Formats: sequence, structure tokens, C-alpha cells
Amino acid sequence: MQPQLLQIDGLRTWYPVKGGFWARTHGYVHAVDGVTLEVAPGETVGLVGESGCGKTTLGRTIIGLERPREGTIQLTGKPLDWQSEDGQALRRRVQMVFQDPYSSLNPRLTVVDAVTEGLLHHGLIRPAQRLDEASRLLGEVGLDPDALHRYPHEFSGGQRQRISIARALALHPELVICDEPVSALDVSVRAQVLNLLVDLRTRHGLAYLFISHDLAVVRHLAHRTLVMYMGQLVETGPTATVLNSPGHPYSQALLAAVPVPFGERARKLVLPGDVPSPVNPPLACRFHTRCPYVIDLCRQVVPPLEPFRSPDHCVACHRKQAIPTLPRPK
Amino acid sequence: MTMTPLLDIRNLGVVFDTDDGVLTAVDDVSFAINPGEVVGLVGESGCGKSVTAMTALRLIPRPPGRIVSGEVWFAGRDLLALPPAELQTVRGAGIGMIFQEPTQALSPLHRVGAQLVEAVRLHRDLSETDARRYALDWLRKVGLPDPEQRMHAYPFSLSGGMLQRVMIAMALMLGPSLVIADEPTTALDVTIQAQILDLLRELRTPETALLLITHDLGVVWEMCDRVIVMYASRVVEQGPLDAVFKAPAHPYTRALLDSVVSLAGGDRKLVAIEGQVPSPLAYPVGCRFAPRCPHAFARCRREQPALYPVAEGRVSACFLAEKSEQSTANGEQ
Repeated sequence: MQPQLLQIDGLRTWYPVKGGFWARTHGYVHAVDGVTLEVAPGETVGLVGESGCGKTTLGRTIIGLERPREGTIQLTGKPLDWQSEDGQALRRRVQMVFQDPYSSLNPRLTVVDAVTEGLLHHGLIRPAQRLDEASRLLGEVGLDPDALHRYPHEFSGGQRQRISIARALALHPELVICDEPVSALDVSVRAQVLNLLVDLRTRHGLAYLFISHDLAVVRHLAHRTLVMYMGQLVETGPTATVLNSPGHPYSQALLAAVPVPFGERARKLVLPGDVPSPVNPPLACRFHTRCPYVIDLCRQVVPPLEPFRSPDHCVACHRKQAIPTLPRPK
Repeated sequence: MTMTPLLDIRNLGVVFDTDDGVLTAVDDVSFAINPGEVVGLVGESGCGKSVTAMTALRLIPRPPGRIVSGEVWFAGRDLLALPPAELQTVRGAGIGMIFQEPTQALSPLHRVGAQLVEAVRLHRDLSETDARRYALDWLRKVGLPDPEQRMHAYPFSLSGGMLQRVMIAMALMLGPSLVIADEPTTALDVTIQAQILDLLRELRTPETALLLITHDLGVVWEMCDRVIVMYASRVVEQGPLDAVFKAPAHPYTRALLDSVVSLAGGDRKLVAIEGQVPSPLAYPVGCRFAPRCPHAFARCRREQPALYPVAEGRVSACFLAEKSEQSTANGEQ
């Protein structure tokens, strides 16, 4: 069997909580806490969850912006170690598009410079080729070549996100991590950027790890969907299965909470309370403090992520057999 | 219409003087809200929906803001002409406001309880103790966990969802006849949003009108009776929710509904609105949606369409609506 494009095993990323006079560490934010996942070549994997669930930290850890405390990240079977020589070469193959197009572009770099910086760094083009390469990339993302010498502040949010995408594409990556790429955009522009991402995927055979809190957007793009709650995956499976007949009570509540035009107006399942603190996550099942189906077992034993109904649909819940599935409104 | 509207905004115009020139924020906006009605004001960021609401309570900073035209009638008084002392009695007691960012709407330097008590005592002749009891009661009603403790807490120690509950208590506790909620759930996660929307539904008395400002068409669908759509500082369509959503009369409303990404899935390509929203510093001469509109013709680029009636209680700012109006009128003759 050919190795997965991206293989992550038992990944943990914790942030120390410091305080007091000596700034001693007196706890950890368990941002990512034991995540195992894989992304196949050309596959789009959607990662959904609410703010603070660790989905962004997971993306940042893969790209090397955070150091994992435990676990391994492999790209086509080779460990991704950002420090090594090898890591530098591997690094090119994974790129990222960030959420906020207003803070992810250097305001002092013109579009040419922003888009070709990586190419020059890796020695893939000569400085003389910058203009040609940059205009080709702008063409890819549907921007006019007269944008080349302008600065980020001259563009709207949607256009900036196109520049970010062009920058990510420059190094011919195989995997692009998209962290909420359309959340900061207005609905009318959001559709433009999503269509662009789909076009680029087919044109270049890209794999995406698509991080989003917006289930509809994930539904539209992702082949497989992973649901994350408090640093852990609670449900994984083909997008249609996870979003049509979710097995985990958290996934069910998440879906039921999304207001949709022409949808049901009365809600069936409203979760009580807030997400608990990630510094002292609840023991055993982390969802037990808000779960409507909680039993004693949930407070004592960690539920494993195991197949439910079909081999590729996994749910981490002790009560998955017992709880009703919600009918999904259109 | 026989009912006297509770809030009646007439030909409101607001501009901001910026370094780059005069920015048109609100242009000739008129609409009314009846007692007890839930009205959604929708549009994309920068379309002027928030400025419209803020101006109604005279909350925009002047300068740089300038109200260039219009009146805002509330319960028989023009709020734009009211002396500040009288306006103060309307704010809070007559019209309650819920802001988008609960973390920025409360003072970070004062305890939650003190801020509630201050608001109560400003409008009601109550002793400190009674005001405190009254505020505490409301924190209970909005379902804030441990309300006694939270009275002594500073806003930073509460989560976004909890703060928005405090904001709702503050907006509703004085029994206003109108509540303006400006993107009340945009900063919140969906499961918390569901809680807050439920709370707004539960706590609103049948007489309280609600103006819900949002860009989320799903939220509008769930909450509202009527919807007003704004684009580039102007109202483009207005009407009963079901009618507008099921058969939008303005091309922008239609495009907006089409570009909503559906949860039902399917591999269809999303219908995107091509191009960009025009800059409020230099709006095009004719219809402001014409550069992006698939139905635009020569007249759209020359003249600005007025709001034409399309059905009972429905208007649309599109020359196509004017045509259909004429044809129905001819048909009747």
C-alpha cells in the first residue's frame, strides 16, 4: 500500500500556562491532545469544531509553527522534522492559507515580492524570473497582472485571499492547509473563493486539510470530515455520512445549531453551558459535561474512536448505539 | 397601513468625512417597524446596516460622521432633534441595544453588577439594594450560571456567551418597546449562538419589537417576520420574510440567497456574485448593483431606481420591478 500523503499519529501540542512572579509553568492548555489522522494524495479532509477546540493549533503544528509535545507527523512516509536539511525540502510540499487576509500578508511587500518570496528562498527561480512567475500565479487565482506592483492595502478581502492562495501555490505543494480561508469574507465573495479552491484542486491534484467552523463550507469541499472537540477527534468519516447521520452527540448538536434559510425554525437539540477550560479538561469523555445522553461510564472511561455502522465511519462515544440519530433537515 | 409604526426612519442619510473624501454610509434609507414585530436588516459588511441603527440612537461619533438628511421617529418623537437629556431617557428604557462584540460593549474596569445597577438606577427610582436585586433577577432570567458571583465579576472573566447573556439582560431589563440587536451572535460559536437566539425568542414579550441586524440569512430565516435588504448604503428590497426568501424581487437578494453554501450538499458549483462591492467613496451613478447584475441594461447605469412596490408590503429597488408594476396596472385597466 502506498504511504499516505500526510500521516499524523498521537499528536499532542500543549501550551504552557505561566504566571506568578517567576513565571513558572503551572499548567498546560491541552490544545491538541492525541490526534491521529491521515490525508491521501488529492484528498480534501475537512476539520470542523468550535473556537478553541484546537483545530488551528493542529494546522500550525503540521506546518511547523508550533512544536508538538508528543507524536509524529509524516509526509509520504518521511518524518517532517522542520529543523533538518530534509525538512527544508519537505517543507515546500506543504503550504498554508491563513484565515485573516488582513494580517497574513506583509503590508510592506508588493504582490510580486509576497508571491515569489518562497520561490527565491528555495532557489527555484532566478530573481529575473520573478515577474513572469508572479503574473502566471496571479492568472491561476484570477487576478489581473496589473496587481503585481501594488501593496496589500489596495485590495479587498477576497482579493487578498486570492493573493494568499497564489503565494501558497507558488511552491507547487501537494498539501495545502486552509485555516478558515473564507470565514473573514462576505457571502457573495465567499462563493468566489470556494469555487477557486475547487478549480485549483482539480487542476493541480492538490490535497487540502480544510479547517473550518462552517459545516456548510466543509460539506461543499471535503471528501472526509473530522469533528474535533477539546483537542480530540470525536467523529471521522466520509463527509456525507458524518453530516447526514452523525453518530456523536456533539456532531449532532453542532449540525442542529446551524441556522439555514428554509430550514426548520424550531431547534431539536440545544447544548447547555460553555466549552470547559482546556487547561483542566473533563476526565474520561471530554463532552460529558454538556452531553444530553451522559451515563456514569462516560465520566470514568475514555471512549475510543472506533468504527460505527461502517468501517470508515468512526465515533468516540460509549453511547453511540443507544442514542437516536437526528433527521437532517434540508 | 393602519398601525402607527413604533420606529419610523425617513430618508436617512449619513456620511463620514475621511482623509480620502466623503464616504456615503447611509443613503436615503426609509423603513418602519411596528410594535411587536421582528425585522431583519441584512446586507454584507460595509452596506450601512449598523450605521443606520447606530444613527437612530445618535451613537455615531460626530465628527467624522454627519447626518445629512432624514428623521427618526420613535413613539411620536424625532430622535434626531431631541435634546441630549431627553434622548437619554429613550436609550435603554425605550430602545435597548445589543452589540456585536460583548467583550467591547461592557466597561472592563467595572464589575458586571455595578454596570447593571447603574443602568437600572438611571431609569428607575430604586435604592441601591433594590436595583441590585432587580439586576440579579435578570441575570437569573438570562440563565447566567452562578449569578450572585457573576455580579462581582469583571467582564474579562466571563466567556463571550456569558457576556452576551449579560448584554441581553441589560437590553431587556428596562422593558424597552424596541430592541436593536447588531449582529448579536456573530462573535459566538454555533452552539452558543443557538442558546442566545433561543434566549432572545423566550425573553422577548409579544409587545417588544426586535430589529435584528445580521449578515447571516439562516439567522434571519429562523427569527424574523419581515426582512429589509441593504446594498451599498441603500435599501434594495423589503417585505415579509417568506415572500422575499421564496421569490426575491431584487437581483441582489436573489444572488445573495443563491450564494449561501447549502448544508444539504451536492457538487453543484456555487453561484458567486462576480466583482466587488463598489467603494462608498465613489458609488456608480446609476443602480449600485448594476456593475454586478446579470440583468442590467442601459438605464440601470444612468438612473438610480426608486423603491417600487411589487406586492402587498413589498418593495424592490429595481427597474424590472417598476416594469412589472406597470404591466399589472395595465392588466387591471
